[in-house]
Amino acid sequence: MDQIEKLAADAPLLPAARDVAGPARARRWHIAVFLAPALLVYTALMIVPLADTLRLSLFRSIEHVPAFVGLDNFRVLFTDPRWSEHFWAALRHNFYFFAFHILLQNPVGIALAALLSLPRLRGQAFYRTAFFLPTMLSFVIVGFTWKLILSPLWGVAPTLLGAVGLRGWFHPWLGQEATALTTLALISVWQYVGIPMMLIYAAMLAIPHELIEAAELDGITGFAQFRKIKLPLIWPTIGICSILTFVGNFNAFDLIYTVSGANAGPNFATDILGTFLFRTFFGNQLQLGDPNMGATIATMMFLIILAGVSAYLFGIQARMRRYAL
Amino acid sequence: MGSLSLSAISKSFGVVDVLKGVDLDVAAGEFVVFVGPSGCGKSTLLRVIAGLDEQTSGDLRIDGLLMNSVPPAKRGIAMVFQSYALYPHLTVARNMGLALSQEGIAAADIKRRVETASALLRLDALLDRRPAELSGGQRQRVAIGRAIVRQPSLFLFDEPLSNLDAALRAGTRIEIAKLHRQLGATMVYVTHDQVEAMTLADKIVVLRGGIVEQVGRPLELYARPANLFVAGFIGSPTMNFIGGDSAARLRAATIGVRPEHLLVAPESAGAGAWIGAVSHAERLGADTMLYVDVPEVDVLGAGMLTARILGDIDYAVGDRVGLTPQAGKVYRFDDDGNSIAA
Ligand SMILES: Nc1ncnc2c1ncn2[C@@H]1O[C@H](COP(=O)(O)OP(=O)(O)O)[C@@H](O)[C@H]1O
Ligand SMILES: [Mg+2]
Repeated sequence: MDQIEKLAADAPLLPAARDVAGPARARRWHIAVFLAPALLVYTALMIVPLADTLRLSLFRSIEHVPAFVGLDNFRVLFTDPRWSEHFWAALRHNFYFFAFHILLQNPVGIALAALLSLPRLRGQAFYRTAFFLPTMLSFVIVGFTWKLILSPLWGVAPTLLGAVGLRGWFHPWLGQEATALTTLALISVWQYVGIPMMLIYAAMLAIPHELIEAAELDGITGFAQFRKIKLPLIWPTIGICSILTFVGNFNAFDLIYTVSGANAGPNFATDILGTFLFRTFFGNQLQLGDPNMGATIATMMFLIILAGVSAYLFGIQARMRRYAL
Repeated sequence: MGSLSLSAISKSFGVVDVLKGVDLDVAAGEFVVFVGPSGCGKSTLLRVIAGLDEQTSGDLRIDGLLMNSVPPAKRGIAMVFQSYALYPHLTVARNMGLALSQEGIAAADIKRRVETASALLRLDALLDRRPAELSGGQRQRVAIGRAIVRQPSLFLFDEPLSNLDAALRAGTRIEIAKLHRQLGATMVYVTHDQVEAMTLADKIVVLRGGIVEQVGRPLELYARPANLFVAGFIGSPTMNFIGGDSAARLRAATIGVRPEHLLVAPESAGAGAWIGAVSHAERLGADTMLYVDVPEVDVLGAGMLTARILGDIDYAVGDRVGLTPQAGKVYRFDDDGNSIAA
């Protein structure tokens, strides 16, 4: 046995094998050629702005002259009360906003998908479209519509609640500090629940019929069937939905800007990193724009998302099993 | 335990009538095989028995109890699917035990029953693996094991061997036959492979277009097919059908002779009933198939007579041979294709 291995090791590479290896290596440049267009576009649109943002966060404009200050902008952001108060509040709001989505949007999306995939459901196409429709609407329309609906002055909500005798339950939810962020989170969940629903619905349709029938024969029906058979098979999709939610939430800006304005009122109660960044970078009302501090906030958002996505990719996804169906 | 009775079972999908009134009685402990060409409704009938599809009309009884609209899990049956349909996220042991834990059976009992079944199917070493880590034959055995642990009185198999290669198929076929002897449960088995049907069945049900063509023991169907369809479907190679004068002489519209019942002799040895030239020969060692062109004879279908000779006989293409049916082995059919009693 040893001898055979030794013989094999000593044997010269077959000349044919060398011929194949040589030209193949020489021809590798075509890979670069094919990658170049995408790489150029991606670099111009993503990498350069990102790198420039990171660079900008290390400078400060003193008398209109950029000066390198190292990580001092971050120190200011975390500790200087003028900044840190807003920063930590926005971060806290962001986590609240995200938790709300994870705990509400995804479970509701899963539930809707499970209901849609019931074979005996009538009007599937209608429900599917109805639930997905808000996702396709512009955030401007959604934001403005909900603002109108919930308006205490001309909104339809007080009237509708009045019609069922619950007029007293109505509050100007968007206008009260205690409820404004939750209300916005609910609007956002309403708008985007179609995305996890569709992804999970597709994952459920991919489960073979016979597998479900085998479960029926085994007496595993209804909710037990969902929990024991379908759910384990759609975990990877739920993971994808969660990470999409995470990235989307920490980048969120548009809905809050539309509904609450750049000041994220009332009294900054709905301020999240996106609106905080917007005010800082571009300035707002009496506040002057500060690109360096803006870049510092943007860098923080980037790092948070990077940390979250890495944790998912290396911590969760690596351990999650995808089963061949 | 496990007798089955179907009366006037019909099944339509929209305007398509797939089953058109099936009557069938299966005694407890019997091994029944449904055969028929693809699309004849075998799977549909099995699914109706399982409760996965509900019949459009007709009654289904298991052990004498009316089972219409009873959910599948409450029928005392277990089914083995063609695609195995194992739960991909569970180990072999959990796959087999899931139905039992759903029923609320104690963990120790589940373990014992899974172990008994896995010993029977030689799955002991695989209990901790997931389906993706098993070969096709092993998956098939797990699927059977999953059925066994439930101790049903009626097993349903839908083409369980069709995803296996030929060697494995023969082995598993024998295992299923053994299993039937050991368990003594009623088994209903769907296949389009007549070898499986002939070798496994106590009773074969030949289906065509949603109608039962004939029910009988394998050799009964072989010896006394009710009509042209059954005669052509049972037996391999297929029976030769001859019309025209040869049939008229026997007062039949069509006559049939099985390839193994044709005596072949070189033309020089004296005249056969039919004379022709060998157009192709398949030599398998144990036997030889001869395809003989007989221009004067009105052979239905291929236009050639097939003869099967035991042993290796060296006929060359173009050799002229005489073919004679063995005495008493000619099947006669009337204008409607039904058998004429001998
Ligand atoms: N769910 C269904 N909807 C419509 N037609 C079906 C359905 N299931 C089966 N059929 C039709 O019924 C016929 C018999 O099918 P099947 O029982 O699967 O045949 P097989 O004998 O090959 O198992 C086929 O023509 C098939 O197209
Ligand atoms: Mg079938």
